[in-house]
This record gives sequence, structure tokens and C-alpha cells, in this order.
Amino acid sequence: MKRKILILPIILFFTLLIVFFYLLVIDRNPSELPSVLINKEVPSFQAKSLMTKKTFISEKEFNGEIILVNFFATWCAPCLQEHQYLKKLSNQRGLKIIGINYKDDPTTALAWLKKLGNPYADVIADKKGHIGIDWGVYGLPETFIIDSKGVIKYRLIGPITKKTYKAFYSKVMEIENL
Amino acid sequence: MIANLGNFSLWLALFFAALQFGVSYRKNNKSTLYLNKISVYSLLLFTLLSFLSLMYCYIVSDFSVSNVYLNSHTTKPLVYKISAVWGNHEGSMLLWILVLSIFNYFIFKLYNKNNIILITKTLETQAFVTIGFLLFTVLTSNPFEKIIPTPTNGLGFNPVLQDPALAIHPPLLYIGYVGFSAAFSFSISAMSVGNIEKVPWYNYMKPFVLAAWTFLTIGIAFGSIWAYYELGWGGWWFWDPVENASFMPWLLGTALVHSLVTVEKKKVLQKWVLLLAILAFLLSVIGTFLVRSGILTSVHTFALDPTRGIYILIFIAILGGYSLLIFAKNSKKFFDKNYISFMSREGSILVNNILMIVVCASVFLGTIYPLIIEALSNNKISVGEPYYNSTVIPIIIPAILIMGIVPLISWQKTSLITILKKTFPSIMLTFAITVTILWIYRSQSVLGFIGIILSGWIISNIVFTLFEQSKIKYGKNKFIKNSVPKFTKSMILAHIGVALLILGITGSSVWQKEKITRMKINDETIIHNYKVIFKEIKEVVGKNYVAIQGNFWIYNEKNNIITKLKPENRFYPITNNSTSEASIHTNILRDLYIVLGNGNEQDGWIVRVYYNPLVVWIWIGAFVIFLGGIFSINSNLKIVKRLSL
Repeated sequence: MKRKILILPIILFFTLLIVFFYLLVIDRNPSELPSVLINKEVPSFQAKSLMTKKTFISEKEFNGEIILVNFFATWCAPCLQEHQYLKKLSNQRGLKIIGINYKDDPTTALAWLKKLGNPYADVIADKKGHIGIDWGVYGLPETFIIDSKGVIKYRLIGPITKKTYKAFYSKVMEIENL
Repeated sequence: MIANLGNFSLWLALFFAALQFGVSYRKNNKSTLYLNKISVYSLLLFTLLSFLSLMYCYIVSDFSVSNVYLNSHTTKPLVYKISAVWGNHEGSMLLWILVLSIFNYFIFKLYNKNNIILITKTLETQAFVTIGFLLFTVLTSNPFEKIIPTPTNGLGFNPVLQDPALAIHPPLLYIGYVGFSAAFSFSISAMSVGNIEKVPWYNYMKPFVLAAWTFLTIGIAFGSIWAYYELGWGGWWFWDPVENASFMPWLLGTALVHSLVTVEKKKVLQKWVLLLAILAFLLSVIGTFLVRSGILTSVHTFALDPTRGIYILIFIAILGGYSLLIFAKNSKKFFDKNYISFMSREGSILVNNILMIVVCASVFLGTIYPLIIEALSNNKISVGEPYYNSTVIPIIIPAILIMGIVPLISWQKTSLITILKKTFPSIMLTFAITVTILWIYRSQSVLGFIGIILSGWIISNIVFTLFEQSKIKYGKNKFIKNSVPKFTKSMILAHIGVALLILGITGSSVWQKEKITRMKINDETIIHNYKVIFKEIKEVVGKNYVAIQGNFWIYNEKNNIITKLKPENRFYPITNNSTSEASIHTNILRDLYIVLGNGNEQDGWIVRVYYNPLVVWIWIGAFVIFLGGIFSINSNLKIVKRLSL
């Protein structure tokens, strides 16, 4: 009896490792946080568009098609990495992406887009970060998937990368086909 | 150039670690010793060289090295350029390896004519651990990787990390974690060589455990100080996974330090100590793995690369599998020669050991519970302060009550009446202390009451035993000497440190007052007898930030000015983020803590004011524990020296 107890530590240890291993190999993003906005309508906002210099009114824009909302800034390094995948989504897949330029300088942002190419259907300036607060953004970049009824369906914290691109796109498809 | 040197040194270090691993015990002691000497010294030399190379790259801002580019910037003050070396995943792995090879060197230094088999085997295990981490670093997290073309400036790094407390926090913590690797190696070595040499393996293990535990204590304290001063949330402990990752080995270390004493004195609990030594190190590595791999998100998540996670996991599986297998197979050789009576010092230490393990287990459960739930049901939950408060506090309370008495109980079986007689004066003193403090803070909180009693209890017991001891030392009656237990300086310091720590924790958590308000210039607000007036706001410019700085004048009840507090809201243009610097006035009874939030001239600024009683005693307590630990390391090294004679 007493000797058997001595095997207990190693059994517990490996049980635990199996759990960790499972969590590591399953396709999971630990920074994927449930957003309180999921399945709610897009928070309404009005702000100046960087492209058209007109006022962008959110109520008018979000309906009829699936739209991605991407929070980005020129000072954010991961946004730069993400940029090519956004271009892929808009050019190859024909998705409409609205960029929200978070706490950034409009002229730098326009120059940045000119240099790298513009994947956005429209870019809205959020100089003070108020829109970001309404959307619960806490780190850049963040991307939201909005369905054709103007309801937020998914939130991705962090960049779309080579690795997550496929999963992200299939998420978009899944929402489109609902 | 220097980066290449660093990279090359790292590979050389790997070679010598492999050599050290290869030199296991042979019949020819001389060649074993000689080869071990070469490998231990070379390992130390090349890891140091590699570490210094990386530091050099940071100092001269060599942005051709990707690691420097990502984590440094030319405008950063020199001190923070240096601390940036270990402020990222790759660099911190290098520091980890450096500390490993320093401990490796100290183990080597223990060689004497009686313990050759034990130390050789220990060095072999230590080499295995070092190889694992070296391979991990060179294969998955090489800090010397190049970037082409060379960028003109770096990406800076998190300004929140630009803090003196945080600059020394990781090295101290690593001494703690890595110190347990030595305990781990000794444990494996003792079990695999058995009792052939009749050497007291526990005596050799003890200084390392003490060093690990002592530095872990002060390392955790510095992390806490950083959170308190830098994060601006008014608190100093948040049960963040990474805090738990350091707290769990600390709890096991506490248990280990004490049970090692019973092994030393009474030859009991040997198996227990062997197991604890293994677990303390495994938990250090698992904790680091959890927060590093991104399995748990926390402020310390550096890398989200799953290959790293899988590598570390396999390494942990080998370490844990091997060590626990040996434990299951060989530990029965270490049977206890004496029985344990509950009413004895060893009995109480055992009870406290068990309580520590239970605390550790509940912290562990709280930390990984969200993971297990997620693995089973795909739901995300989070476990927070209420869980820890309701599981940890009730177990800690009896542990501390026992901790107060243990020094008074002798190693043999003692009767309950003797214990009661001995503790009667301290019960009285505890009562007096409690009444006085509660009167000062006018508190009716139960937890506050309990905290003060616990703290007073430890102190009173120590005071009275010291009193008894001095009576014998300077009195005439030398015959009763044995009935009064001997105290060492280190034990007294460490226990008093814990008492002060409890005092600080109680005060700051039970009696804290918080006020969040919007203030314009010349507005005033009241917090606990203090009047706070918002005098002015201005812009200040620092080396790599600009800030707005508020000026708050604090008056006491009698309308005398006490201090002017100047919290800042800093903006770092390089990384485009802002931090808030709390401004704090400290005295031995309380802290006044002000944080400046967002705002403007018209609407005023959001201001958070905290009244935090007794916070400073947390840091003092931790430092006193640290001192006790240092004294203890010293006296135990003397014991080890005597063994070689």
C-alpha cells in the first residue's frame, strides 16, 4: 500500500502534461477574448473619413453585405505585418474592409497607405481613440466581422498572420453562409 | 561581429554542457574531477561571454540583431538598455542559462574526498538540465538572430517596464527558480546513488534551497513593488497567473526549507524532502512554461510560438518523468529512522508542510482551472481574487498559528500543558498588541482582527523565547539549558519578517480606502482625515517621454501641509503609448497614493486617491525575510565546509 503511493506523483504529473499538450496542439488562440459586443449591433458613431473627407455615419454603412472592421495605426508594428493579408482579403476575396485609424496622424496614415497599398473601402480617423473605446478595443490591430444585418459576429485580437489567415477567412465564410 | 561571438559562445557552452553530462562517475576519480573542472569552468565562461555579448549589442544599439531591434531604442536610458537584455523572451533564456551555470559552478565547488559520487551525479543531472535549456535557446529562441537590412532605429520597448524595481526583478527571480534546479539535481543524485557514500546529501542540498527560496522571496517582492508603483492600480498583488507561477515554487520552497531541517536533526521526512525538491523545480519550469508559451495570457506572455511550447513541454516531460520515476523506484530506500509525534517540533513542521502544499495546490488549481475547463468544454472562464481569498486565507491562518508556536516546542514529544504554559505570556502580549493596533485604526473588520493577532502572535513568541534564552545565558542555572530551544539569528529574522509581512498585507488590504473623483484646479477632496487640494498641472519632458504632471497638496486634520504629490501621465512617442506614474507619500503607518487619469482644463481630470495603511511593512517584511535567508545560507555553508574535514 505504502509503496503504491510513491507512484502517485508521476501519474498526476503525466495527466497534467496531457492536458497541457492537448491545449497546445489544438488550434486555439488564447488572446481570443469573448467580446460583449458579439451578436450585438455595431456601436453607432460618426467620424470624418480620411479618404472622402466626408462624415461617415455608421448607421448608413453597415447593412447589406458582410463587412470587416479593422483597427490599425501606422505606429503599430504588427499592423504592418497584417497589411498584406488585409490586401489579400480585399483584392482576392473581394471583401469590404473599413479601416479605423486609431490614435494616429491622418497625413502619416495616408502616406502609409499610399506606399503599401490600400485594402480599405473607407478609412475613418479615430484620433482620440473614442471609437476604439466604444468597440472595446484594447490592443492593435483588432478585426471585427460584421454580418449583413449590421451585427458583430466575431472579434479577432491581434494581427491576421500567415498562420491565422485561413482560419480567419473560413470564419468569414461561415458567417456569410448563415 | 560581437553578436557572432555571442552566438558561437552559446554553441561552445552547449558543447561543454554535453561534456559535463558525459563525464559521469568512473572508477578513475582523478579524470572525472579533471574533466568536470574543465567543463564547469568553460560552461561558465562561455555563457558569461555570450550574455555579455548580447548586453554589448544592446548598449551600442546594434540593430542588425533582431532581438535588439525589437526591444531597444537609441533614446532609452543606459540602465534600461541593459535591463532590456532580459526584458524579452530570448534574452531572459540567456540569463536563465547564465544563472544555471553559476549554480553549476557552486555545486562543483562542493567536491571533497567523501562526496565524489554524489556531486558527480548531481553535476550530471545539472548538465542535463542546462543542455535542455541551451538547446531550447539555440534552436527556438536564439537572441543573436540577424535582421536584414539593418533598421535605423529600434522599436523601443514597453515603457511600463522602464522601472528600477523591474530591472532587477527577473534576475532575482531566476536565481530562485534556477536555485531549485540544484535541489532537483541533488535529489535525483541522492536517489540514484542511494546511501552508498553515507554522505549527508541534505546538508549539501540545503544552501541551494535556501538561496533559491531567499532570492525568490525578494524577487517576488520586487515584482510586487513594481506593480504597486508602476501599474497605478493601488494594489500590489493581483493573483495574475505569472504571480502565481512564482508564488507556488515559493510555497514549496518554504516547506522544503523547513522539512530539510527536520531531516538534518531527526532523520525523518527524507522521502518527503526528495519529492519536494523535485516538485519545486518542476513547478518553476511549468510555471514559466505556462506564462511564456501563451497557454495562459498574462503581462508576461512573450512568445506565442507553439513550437517553443511543445519543445518545453517535451523537456518537462523528460525531466518530470525521469525524476518521478526514480522517486517511485528508489525513494523507499530512504526510510525514516524515527517516528513523528504530533506534539513535537518535527510534528508541527510536518503539519505546516502539509498546509503549505494545500495552499500551493489550491493556487495551482485556480491557475490551471480555466485551462482544464477550456480543454473539456471550450468555455472561457476566469478565476480571480475571490477564489484565492476564500481558499488561501483559511489555510494560511492555522499555518501561521502553528508557525508562532513551533520555535517554542522542542524536538522531542512535548505535552500540551507544557506548550500552553510556555505560550501563556505570548498570548497576553499578542492580546495587548492587537488591542493597541485596532485602537489606532479603529477597525471592526474580522479579517483585520485576525491578521493583527497572527502578526502579534509570531512576534510575541519570539520575544519571549529570546527573553528565556538570555535568562539562561546570563543567569546562573545552566542545567535547564536544554529545555529552551535554540534559536538561530536567521530563523528569528525570517519569522519576524513574516510577521511584518502579515501586518502590511492586513493593513493594506483590509483598511485600504479608495476615492475616484473628477477634479479641476483648486478643487479639494477628503480621504481619511487628509485633505487633498489640486494645485496645478503642467507639462514636463523626460528623456524619452513627455508628461503632464499634476501637483497635489496634502493637508492633515490640523491643516498643516504634509506633502506635495506629483503624479504624472507620461506619453512615449516612440511606441505611442502612455503610462501613469503614481505619486506616493509613505510613512510607517500608511501610504498616500495618487494617480492622475485622463482629463482636460474644462471638465477636470480623473483622479484616484488611495489611503493604503501599513504597505511599507510588506517591503520591510520581505527584506527582513531576505536577510534571514542570507544569514542562513552563510551558516549552512559553514556546516558544509565542516563536512569536508
